[in-house]
Amino acid sequence: MKIKSILIANRGEIAIRIMRTAKQMGIETYAIKTAKEPTAWYLDEADHIIDFTECLSDTPEFLDIERIIYTVKENKIDAVHPGYGFLAENPVFARRCEEEKINFIGPSSEVIYNMGNKTVAKDLARKYNVPLLRGSKGTLLNADYARRMANIIGYPVILKAAAGGGGRGMRVATNEAEVERMYHLASNESAKAFNDPSMFIEKYVAEPRHIEFQILADKHGNTIHLGERECSIQRKHQKLLEESPSPALDPELRKKMGEAAINIAKAVGYYSAGTVEFLLDADKNFYFMEMNTRIQVEHPVTEMVTGIDLIEQMIRIAQGEKLRISQEEVRLEGHAIEFRINAEDVQSGFSPSLGTIEKISWPEGENIRVDTGVRDGSVITPYFDSMIAKLIVYGETRDKVLQDSTNAIRKSWIKGTKTTLSFCRAVLQNGNFRKGNFNTSFLSSELKIHYHSEPDEEMLAAFFAVYDYARDLEEAEGKKLNVDKGKNITPWLLNKRLR
Amino acid sequence: MAEKNKGAKTTKKSQLIALSAANKQYSFTNPLERVVKYKGENVKIKLYEDPNGFSYVLWKNKKYPLEIIEKSQNKYTVMLNGVWHSFTVETPFSLKRKKFLESQAGTSSSVTIDAPMPGKIVEVLIEEGAEVKSGESLLILEAMKMQNEISSHVDGVVKKIAIRQNDSVMKDDLLIEIEKS
Repeated sequence: MKIKSILIANRGEIAIRIMRTAKQMGIETYAIKTAKEPTAWYLDEADHIIDFTECLSDTPEFLDIERIIYTVKENKIDAVHPGYGFLAENPVFARRCEEEKINFIGPSSEVIYNMGNKTVAKDLARKYNVPLLRGSKGTLLNADYARRMANIIGYPVILKAAAGGGGRGMRVATNEAEVERMYHLASNESAKAFNDPSMFIEKYVAEPRHIEFQILADKHGNTIHLGERECSIQRKHQKLLEESPSPALDPELRKKMGEAAINIAKAVGYYSAGTVEFLLDADKNFYFMEMNTRIQVEHPVTEMVTGIDLIEQMIRIAQGEKLRISQEEVRLEGHAIEFRINAEDVQSGFSPSLGTIEKISWPEGENIRVDTGVRDGSVITPYFDSMIAKLIVYGETRDKVLQDSTNAIRKSWIKGTKTTLSFCRAVLQNGNFRKGNFNTSFLSSELKIHYHSEPDEEMLAAFFAVYDYARDLEEAEGKKLNVDKGKNITPWLLNKRLR
Repeated sequence: MAEKNKGAKTTKKSQLIALSAANKQYSFTNPLERVVKYKGENVKIKLYEDPNGFSYVLWKNKKYPLEIIEKSQNKYTVMLNGVWHSFTVETPFSLKRKKFLESQAGTSSSVTIDAPMPGKIVEVLIEEGAEVKSGESLLILEAMKMQNEISSHVDGVVKKIAIRQNDSVMKDDLLIEIEKS
């Protein structure tokens, strides 16, 4: 059935991204307004705004299942797109949508449950002969059980939230003494983030590459993959930079991994867009990690190299349409890199940098895409995650993209908050990254300094401190600057050359 | 210009030194003039503000966006091209005095661990009087839904714990004081 209206149960850049495609398809969009950011940009992009500013419960707005369900019914909205995070992989929400005959733009609640529970997902993969890492068969009873399992598997081990994703609720333990503490840390984090403290454990591959495959599947049994994304540039399991294709894959390995990904999707009866994540070790063995049953943050790199709008495909699949593309018709052309711009202070251990974005200016160009939810005056609040934008650069070859990216980063100016732009520059400067020779330990072992500063930059900054100080002194002494003009100017108010 | 230059030699702004956090000295003579002396050479550093409200430096044909992000008395933090740099601005005299005072005081034996970001204390992992090693976790601070382990950067003994579990803290609030060993 054709979808005529969609509620986007999300905020920020992804809400804007979904609305962009919905509008192109002639679908009316609804957005949720919260008291936490009542003037956010995504609200301006929506056709209708649902007001959640009045607080009705302790549940955060975008997690309040019944309130969202009620809203959809009350406004006679056809469908819900959950975006990523929040309720995107919550089987209860998907099931409630099914019960209320609301079109949930994603897979079935059963699939979300099966794939969301990592242990169920692994059992399925085992059944279909997809390679797996050694680990616990089910969730762990408690920290002591985790410790005993770890001793059997051998160190290092990784403790993971059964309901986890996005790097939350994950900790590595390198020895027996660490296991219990890491168990509690990860479990507490998981309880808060996903409302589920259960954990599983597995062998930790120290320096793998993180490779994921984009899947598209319709409700008629057609399943294809749209190639891979390389997401090895991570910090504490949080992805910072993604690209497609991966420098590590050749057509043969891509075919093999792609088929494994399709097998997993088919095994669970998957439909919608989804992502199958693998670890790739130094010998190019791959292991199934998990399947993400939602649109991913990094989906634009796939869109750039395939020319396929994934949100549009999700909506069409939800309407019951058949895929119009066969596997043979999928062409991976060129190369794309996505830089996540987070409001974080790279020089202080990537700590969140709150505040107001005074000014923001992005590079423009045919091969440049910026997905963002912030603009001049936007406030970075502590309530939501710190990602403010994604800068995507496309080109014919990886080398060309690297070159254009350096310019694109240089032209991305953000005033008022600290961002990970300086980190992006550092990655682009790194020889091994440029050669495509890296893995998930890149930040801890290869990139020792997480920001990049050109040789003269500190001197220029020093000059500016001295200059400003000297001006203040001169003012304090009662002297007039620029006597010839008869007025006192500050460097911040002049719309022309200052010196 | 000529009028200004007359007095330049005698004013205290004629030479100013920005001292970086890593004790690197950047000395500029006549910083307010069109031509500035740096390392004995005359250099031109041009500052602009573009119509969008960004300030930037033009240096060797490249634009470097910049802003002052913190300023109190002679302490500056300047963000230039996405990287921040901290300095104290000194005159030749104040720099000399500062060095003298530092040599007299020796190094302080107590260090403080401050909150790197606003958040909530989830757990305190140590007690007062406990011995800690550099890199050892002291507490867990939750911010932006992430649990961050705050660790010690020195070896020593915990002198004071200024917070308790479930406390909310602001950035730079004192968390823990450690007596260096």
